[in-house]
Amino acid sequence: MLRRATTPTVLVVALGLALLVPLLGDYYIHVFALVFTNIILAASLRPSLTCGQLNIGHSAFMCLGAYTSALLAKHYGVPFELSLLSGALLATVVGLVVGYPALRLRGVYFAMVTVAFVEVIRLVAAIWVPLTRGNSGLSGIPKPNLLGVTLATKPSQYYLVVGLTVVTLFILWRLERSRLGLTWKSIGLADNLAQSLGVNIAAHKLLAFAVGCFFAGVAGAFYAHFIRFLFPPEFGFLVATNILVYNFVGGRGHFVGPIVGAVFLSLLSEPFRGSAYETIFFSIAMLLTILFLPGGIITLPGKLAGLRWGRAASAPTPSPAG
Amino acid sequence: MPLLETRRLTKRFDGLAAVNGLDLLVEEGEIVGLIGPNGAGKTTCFNLLSGFLPPTAGTIRFAGEDITGQRSHRIVRRGLVRTFQLTTLFQEMTVLENVLLGLHLHSRGSFRQVLFSQQPFPRDEIDRGHEVLEFAGLGPHATQPAKNLPHGHQRILGIAMALAARPRLLLLDEPVTGMNLDESGRVMALVKTIRDQGTTILLVEHNMKAVMGTCERIVVLNFGEKLAEGTPAEVGRNTKVIEAYLGAEVAHARG
Repeated sequence: MLRRATTPTVLVVALGLALLVPLLGDYYIHVFALVFTNIILAASLRPSLTCGQLNIGHSAFMCLGAYTSALLAKHYGVPFELSLLSGALLATVVGLVVGYPALRLRGVYFAMVTVAFVEVIRLVAAIWVPLTRGNSGLSGIPKPNLLGVTLATKPSQYYLVVGLTVVTLFILWRLERSRLGLTWKSIGLADNLAQSLGVNIAAHKLLAFAVGCFFAGVAGAFYAHFIRFLFPPEFGFLVATNILVYNFVGGRGHFVGPIVGAVFLSLLSEPFRGSAYETIFFSIAMLLTILFLPGGIITLPGKLAGLRWGRAASAPTPSPAG
Repeated sequence: MPLLETRRLTKRFDGLAAVNGLDLLVEEGEIVGLIGPNGAGKTTCFNLLSGFLPPTAGTIRFAGEDITGQRSHRIVRRGLVRTFQLTTLFQEMTVLENVLLGLHLHSRGSFRQVLFSQQPFPRDEIDRGHEVLEFAGLGPHATQPAKNLPHGHQRILGIAMALAARPRLLLLDEPVTGMNLDESGRVMALVKTIRDQGTTILLVEHNMKAVMGTCERIVVLNFGEKLAEGTPAEVGRNTKVIEAYLGAEVAHARG
C-alpha cells in the first residue's frame, strides 16, 4: 500500500527535478541529456532480459538509429520526427532479421551472437567510408527540430530528450504490466512451462527483442542530433556492456531498476567519460553488485529496513553468541 | 473415434529406446493412468505427446488429426495440455498471475488495452481467472505470491493453470508426488471433478493408492514398452506387472 502511494510522488519529484536541470548551466545540461539517453537504452534492454536473453550488443541498434537519422537529416533534409522514426524502424527491422535466427540459441550462445553483431556493426560504420566517413567521424549533423522549429538551444534539446524518455518509459511500463509483460516474464522464469500453456516462445522473444531495438534506435537518433558528431568506436562492445551493467547494478527485479542504474552509474562515471578508467569503473560497479547486492541498488532500501527490523526483533532475545 | 491414439510411438536416445513401439488409446471422458517403474518411459511419453520431444518413429493422433512432430504451443492450442513433474508454476508471480498465464491462449489483449486502459488485463479475463481459482479451491490465495503457498497448494495451482487453457485432454505428470494422504485425496477428488466436467485425463503417478482409486483404466510401461493394460483390479493381479515392480523372485515366491 505504501508503494502505491509513493511511486507517483517519487516520479513527479524526479521529473520536477529533471526539468530544473537547465538552471545549472550548459555543462549539466549536456551531462543530464546523456543520462536520459542512457535511461532509454537501459530500459529498452529490459524486455529482452525479462525473457532471459542476455543481449550484449544493444549499442549496435543505437548505432543504426544514430547513423540512419543523421544521414537522412544531413543529406535529404528529412525533419527530425521522421528521421528519428526511420532510425528506430531500421533498428527494429535489423533486430528482427538478426533476432529471428539468433533467438533460437540459448544463454551464452545468444550472448556471443550479440557481441559479434555489435562489432560487425561498428566495423561496417568504420569501413563504409563513402556513407559514414568511417573513423574520421560523421559531422555536420543538423540540430533536432520539432514541427518545423529547430531546437537550437541546449535547454530545448534537453527537454526533447526528457520528453522522449517519458514517452519511452510510459510505453515500456505499460507493456511490462500487460499480458505481454507477464508472458515475457514467464519465459524468463520457466520457458518450458510457458510453452506448455501455449506461449509461442520464439515469437515472444523476438517481439521483446524488437521492441528493445526500436527504442535503442530512438536513443541513437537523439544522440546523433544532440552531439552532432558520430564516431564508430562510440557504439562498440564496451558501450553495450555498459547498458547491460545499468540493468544489473540498478536491479533486474523491477521496472525502475535499469533507470536507477543508468542515473547512478552515468553520473558517477562522468569524471571518467571517454577514458580508460570508465571501463574499470563499470567493472568494479558490476563486481560490487554481484558480490554485495545481487538484487541491485533497488533492493538496498529493503535491505537497510530489514537490517533495522532485524536488530529490533532480535533485541529482546539475546543471541547464543552474545 | 478415440481422443488420443498413438501407433508404434518410438523415441530413441543414442540407441536406447526410451519409448518403444507404444500403442496408446485414450477415449473421450476417461481417466487413464500411465504407470511403471522408474525409467519405464512415462515422462518421455508425455514429452512426445505434448510436442516437447519429436518422436523417432510412429504417429500421434489427437481428436482425429495427426499431430506428430508439431511444436508444443500448437498442440496446446488443439486442447492437449500437460503439467510438469518439477516446474509446476511461476514462483515469482502471484497465484492469480499464474492462472492468467494459463488463459494465454484465450486472451484478446489489444494495443489500446496495453497503452491506455486502467486495468492491464480485461475484466472478463480476471473474472475467469478467479473462477478457475475458486474451482480449484485456491480463491482466497489469489493475490499471494505463488512461492508462499504450501507444496500441496502449489501443485493444485499447477493443475489450475493447465485448466485455464481449457484442455480437452489433460496430461498430469505426478500430480500428487510428495503429498500427504489428505492432500493427495483432495487432488484426486479434484481430478475426478475435472473429468466429470468434460476433460479427459491421462496421468502418470507413482502413488499406487491414488492411481488405483481414481483411474478407470491403467496402462503399465516397462523399458519403454507396454507391459499390461486393464482395469486397476486386472493390472493388480497381473504377474508380469508384479514382477516388473518387485522383481521376478518376489513374484514367484508369492505365486
